[in-house]
Amino acid sequence: MHIYGFGSICRGEISLGSDIDILAIVESYDSRIDPNTFSVYSYKRIQELWLEGNPFAWHLSLESRLLFSSDKLDYLKVLGTPENYKNCVRDCEKFFSLFREAHASIITSNNSRVFDLSTVFLSIRNIATCFSLGVIEQPDFSRNSALRLGVNSIPLALDTYHILERARILCTRGYGKNITDDEIDTTLRRLNEIHKWMYNLVEKAKEHERV
Amino acid sequence: MNEFNNRIAAQRQILQIVNRKRWEKEELLGLSSKAIERWVSVNQINPELRLVELIITASGKLFFLANKSQEQISEEYKMISREIADISRAIELEIG
Repeated sequence: MHIYGFGSICRGEISLGSDIDILAIVESYDSRIDPNTFSVYSYKRIQELWLEGNPFAWHLSLESRLLFSSDKLDYLKVLGTPENYKNCVRDCEKFFSLFREAHASIITSNNSRVFDLSTVFLSIRNIATCFSLGVIEQPDFSRNSALRLGVNSIPLALDTYHILERARILCTRGYGKNITDDEIDTTLRRLNEIHKWMYNLVEKAKEHERV
Repeated sequence: MNEFNNRIAAQRQILQIVNRKRWEKEELLGLSSKAIERWVSVNQINPELRLVELIITASGKLFFLANKSQEQISEEYKMISREIADISRAIELEIG
């Protein structure tokens, strides 16, 4: 078994809403490992991610710290650098689609709207991370990757961005002050801007792939 | 649709069923264990209710799929997707 810390704690980005991300790599099911505490991956799945050049493989390769090794080896270091990231366009389209589904849901349903806002934030963060890795080649795995893309950063007022971020933390960590109806309405008025920003990222990713 | 987006759609479907009911303080915000704990605590719901048990089971099955290898995923995905659909129907019956 190998155990790694990764994510915000390895970047020193600590806040009250921060979680501690711990990865456990195991041969098979291990009853000692609580999936609510650990991200549990098999060695086989980790190898697949490395061969795909998956963004999570790049994240682990660049920003993880070994905490425990049953064989004294740093398994991820032994795997070397992941393959080149080849699925940027496909992944950006996937997260754009995720955004459109959340957008459609939030305007047609009156319940679970905080979850839809949380999904909007997830799609924003993930499309930005894929774009940073695949197009501008300055990978950013932080929660705020969408604000760190230079001229391609999300053109959204910070108070609206922080409402979306709060929704994400509420839905995943159950932490924070709930989102008010006024905050939901404020955010809804900005969804078309987010749609346009994502569309442009997808187009730029396609252009980058063609070149 | 790909599996990642499918899992989010399945979460949304279950949340929309649960949140058809007007909860005293706060709707169920997500299917992570911490979001479920918050919902139970804030609304002072009996954690032993069948509804809570069904939601926790659905959550476990959805998150279980996330880390599977591609080789394992297709058959297992179909089987667990069917189980999640059954649990959704059971939740719908509990909500009434």
